[in-house]
Order: sequence, then structure tokens, then C-alpha cells
Amino acid sequence: MKSSLKNMVLVLFTITAIAALLVGLVNDMTKEAIAQSRLDAKNAAKFSVLSTTATEASVARDTTRTIGDFAVTVSTVVRNDDGSTVGYAVEAPSITKSGYADRIILMVGFIEKEGEAIINNIEVLSQKETPGLGANMTKEGNSLISSVAGKQAKILKFSVAKEGGSFDALTGSTISSRAYANAVETAYAGYLWATGRLDMSSEAVAAAPTGASMPTDESNEWEPEAQEGDMTNE
Amino acid sequence: MSRLQIITKGILKENPTFVLILGMCPTLGVTSSAINGMGMGIATMAVLILSNIVISMIKNFIPDKVRIPAFIVVIASFVTIIEMLMQAYVPSLYASLGVFIPLIVVNCIILGRAEAFASKNGVFDSALDGLGIGLGFTLSLTIVGMVREALGAGSIFGFSFAEGVMPLLFILAPGGFLVLGYLMVLFNKIAKR
Amino acid sequence: MIGMNIMSILVADNISSEVLNGFATGSVGVQTITLVAIVIGAIFVNNVVLSQFLGICPFLGVSSKVETSLGMGMAVTFVMALSSIVTWLIQTYLLAPFGIVYMQTITFILVIAALVQMVEIVLKKVSPALYQALGIFLPLITTNCAVLGVAIIAVQKDFDLLTGVIYSVSTALGFALALVLLAGIRERLETEDTPKAMQGVPIALITAGLLAMAFMGFANVVPLP
Repeated sequence: MKSSLKNMVLVLFTITAIAALLVGLVNDMTKEAIAQSRLDAKNAAKFSVLSTTATEASVARDTTRTIGDFAVTVSTVVRNDDGSTVGYAVEAPSITKSGYADRIILMVGFIEKEGEAIINNIEVLSQKETPGLGANMTKEGNSLISSVAGKQAKILKFSVAKEGGSFDALTGSTISSRAYANAVETAYAGYLWATGRLDMSSEAVAAAPTGASMPTDESNEWEPEAQEGDMTNE
Repeated sequence: MSRLQIITKGILKENPTFVLILGMCPTLGVTSSAINGMGMGIATMAVLILSNIVISMIKNFIPDKVRIPAFIVVIASFVTIIEMLMQAYVPSLYASLGVFIPLIVVNCIILGRAEAFASKNGVFDSALDGLGIGLGFTLSLTIVGMVREALGAGSIFGFSFAEGVMPLLFILAPGGFLVLGYLMVLFNKIAKR
Repeated sequence: MIGMNIMSILVADNISSEVLNGFATGSVGVQTITLVAIVIGAIFVNNVVLSQFLGICPFLGVSSKVETSLGMGMAVTFVMALSSIVTWLIQTYLLAPFGIVYMQTITFILVIAALVQMVEIVLKKVSPALYQALGIFLPLITTNCAVLGVAIIAVQKDFDLLTGVIYSVSTALGFALALVLLAGIRERLETEDTPKAMQGVPIALITAGLLAMAFMGFANVVPLP
């Protein structure tokens, strides 16, 4: 078709208008369904990170702490038959460290054994890391989760192994792994906060270790440390 | 050109990755494992078929000079709509393919086919072209992903065959360039014969 | 409070002061990343072509001569700087307030395409010399996914306008650097006796792989934004 200024403007405007209309319509149509499927996934994770199901247990209460643009939600999950506490499912973003692309949001399950919180399981609720590298954090039995699952939260160090932390980094993804560790740390802090055991006085803040964003002792290491037995992601 | 030829040419003679050199960004970006390459290929194929159909339908109404912007708008809206629909109604499929969908917008393969084929041919042929090129793209991405995963992680489609430390480099950025480069050499050698 | 065991307040000595502070004050302290870190990060550490795989098509297509690659690099820098301003304004004053962020990709693409056309027309009128130098590259930029990619990344990272522009220009400079480096090497390769199957794109890809390896030496030089 020959182009004149009139038909160029007209056609482009019409196409854009139709496209915008369609996208808007589909957005309206799917908005609720998308929100619902996200909510379903989140609710399912609350039970699965505590190794229980929605038929055996239910959420007794949700406690939420808003930190800036983020929210940490602690759900107390109780057994349906006797009302005893199964544990706490904490939805937490990596509040002070971003992943490679964006914040990482985790659901972390804490179960109390003899008064000590044990990390039962962790699920990734939201991440936009690189496929094949950082995105491997969603795989079952990845090095991050297997290095901390079943351990007492209070003995963990929330950084990657090469910085002296408890988390075995994903191969080639130190930044994503740091953010993951940060989200677990936030979740643990959230759990302590919800159970009234987080000392937030200014003295405690001053005495706390600083989570340096960069390791200071390594000079020029391009390759994220490869952990033995870490190279096969099954 | 027969209908069958339109489909088969995408796999060898006009292979988008190795011959047309289109869509290099996703080819390098997502092929860190075989399954990712395949996922991206399939998602692209779906968008390619649909966008080819629509563009061949509206091609006569678009003035030449605004052709490219018009095509881009059509493709971008398509991708956005498909992403929303998938997220809403097939969340499990979205969980595995979702990350690739936004990448398709910036994939020049779609625009390239809209320009080179769909804007000159009928609806049915354009759909077949999308299918053929899509198949070729999926195949090449899977192969690149397979080689990188095998060399870098010692596994194929997630099934591990080698233990111990593998050269991680092949999963990282330089490995993408190197593997694609050498595969292209191999393709040229074989195609020559 | 909640929980079965009533314990005295426990000082969790493994929680960092940043996270504790977040819970104490309800806000995350502003994480300052210096402009220097952003510039170096975008040019070297996170090079748009060699580590983020954006803009590969022009990277392979326009890198056979140093002169043309310089022109392309300049044109991309110019367009990226402009488009980062326009897309930032659109995002902040149009998409976000009206809650139509889902239209982001479509609007950004359209704006960039329109911008490129406009730059072409204006340049032709105002500075024919510059148009002569950049003109042929401008239409190619519309299909350069790096421009769109960077605009979206800058918005995602919540940069303010100035930081966003600095980030975009640095990214574009990184693109230009990679392009010129590859072109320089490819010019030398021209005179070499490369095997037939390797000529053209394959050898360019292999060279790019070696370049990318060299750029990995910059990793961890600065914290990423």
C-alpha cells in the first residue's frame, strides 16, 4: 500500500488503539484469575513447607510486618485435630539484597523442636533470575536448600559458603544465592519477631554483624566458587 | 514452492539460527540447558505462527513506511496477551515457560519472518512458514542447550552422566558464544556436503 | 506472645544489623550505589552484549569494519540516552499513575520506534553531516533489542531520571566498546587464512566468546546495582 501522511497516521493509530483495547480487555479478564492462582500457590506453599496439607492443618493467624515496600507475613499453622502448632510459614522477600534481576520472595517453614526453630523446607514464590543459573533455586534439592534444610536456624550464617556462610551457592550464581540467603534471614527475623523474641533495641542493632554486600577479602575472583557435589543439579 | 517445502526449509535450508542468523539474543541467553532451549523454542513457535497469521491478514491495509512499527505493535500485543492468558488459565505451563515469553518480544526472528514472508504471502502459507521456522528454531536451541549443558554441567535434559567438577564456563556467557560458533562451523561443513 | 514456649527475649546474633534495622524501623535504609559503580558496572562488569546477550544482531552484523562500528556505537548511545529519558517520563507520569504497567512493552517499543524516526528526520534537517555519518544505522536501531531491554531494566531497577540516563549511556558505551573491539579483531582476521566453514559469523562468534571471557575478569570489581 502506498504511504501518505494521512493513511500512515490513521493506520498506525488504529492498530495501536485496537492493540491497546485488546490488551486492556484481556488484562481485565485475567486479572482476577492471575491473582487467584498466585494466592493458591502461596497458600499451598504455607502447608507444603511445613510438610503438611490443607486437610490436616489450617492457618490460625497471619502476622504481617511491613518494611518499606515489602511485607513479611508469618502464618501460624495449627493441626486441625488437636489445635497444636505445626510450625510457622514465613513469606519473606530478600529485603536488603536483590538477586540478579529482582528481589527474591521465599516461603520458609520453621518447626519448633525443643524450643529451637528448625528450617523444615523452603519454596521459592517469586524470582526472575537467569534460566539455568540463578533460576535453579526453584529446583528440588538444589544446593541452597539442601545446605540448610533440617538445621537449627540460630546456628546458621546467612551468607554463601565462600564468605563463611552456611549456604552452598548455586553454581555460577553467587548474587542470586546471596539474595536467597538474605530472604531466609529475613524470614527467620520475621519468625522471631512474630513470636516476640526479636530484640530490636538500638543496642542490639549496633551489636549485630553487618551483612556486607561485597566480600572484602577476595580480589579478582571471576568464577563463583564451585562446591564439590554442587555441579550436578538434580 | 510446495506446502511441505515451506515447512521443511526452516529446519535445514533456512534454519533461523545457523543460516538466517536471526534471534541470536534468546539463542545465547536461554540455552544454558537443553530443557530451557526447548521451552524457548516452543514458546517462540507458538507466537511465530500466530503473528504470521495475523500479519498476513492485515498486510494489505498497512502503508509501507509504517510497516515495521505496525508489525512491532501487533507482535508485542500478541505476546502480552498470550502471557496473561497463560498465567491465568494454565499456571503450571506458565511456571515453566513464563520466563521466556517477555524475551520473545525482543526476538527479531518474529519481526524478520513478518517482513520476509508473512507480508508477502497468504494466511495458510504464512502459518506453515511459522511452523517450519519455529521447528528449526526449537531444534537448534535444543541442540545448543544440550551441548552447553553436557559440557558445563555434565548432564543432558537434567540427567547427570558425569560427576565432579565440569567446566562451568560453558554455561556462562562466553560458553554460549563459543558453542554456538563451533556448532555453526559444524553446520556449514555438513551443509556443504 | 504467639508460640508455645515463653522465652526471654533472645538476641539472635546471626541476624545482620540491616535486617534487624528493617524490622525495628519498618523501612529499608537507602542502598547507595555510587554513580561510578553504575558506570563501571554497565560498561565492563555487566556488559550488555558480552554478558547480558542483548543486541547480538547488530553486534554480529555491523562489526566487520571499525569505522562503521564506531558510527553504530555513537548512534546507539544517542538513541539510548534519548529513549531512557522518554521511557522514564512515560513510566513515571503515565503508566504507573494509571495502573497500566502491563502496557509497558507495547508503549516502550512504539516510543522507541517513533523516536528513531524522529531523530532521523530532525538530523536530516539540522545536521546533514551527522546524518551522513549516523543515518544508515538509525533504522537498524529500531530492531535493536538492547534499546528496549535497557529501557525496561532501568525502570525495573527504580532509578531516578539522572541515574537512569547515566545507566543507559554507560550501557550504550559498553555496547560500543564491545562492537569496536570485535570489529578491530575481525579486520585483522580478514587478512588471515580462516578455514572456509569458519568465515563470517562463526569466527565472529568464537572471537566474541574469547572477548566475553576476557570481560569476566571485571566481575566483582564493583557491586552490581
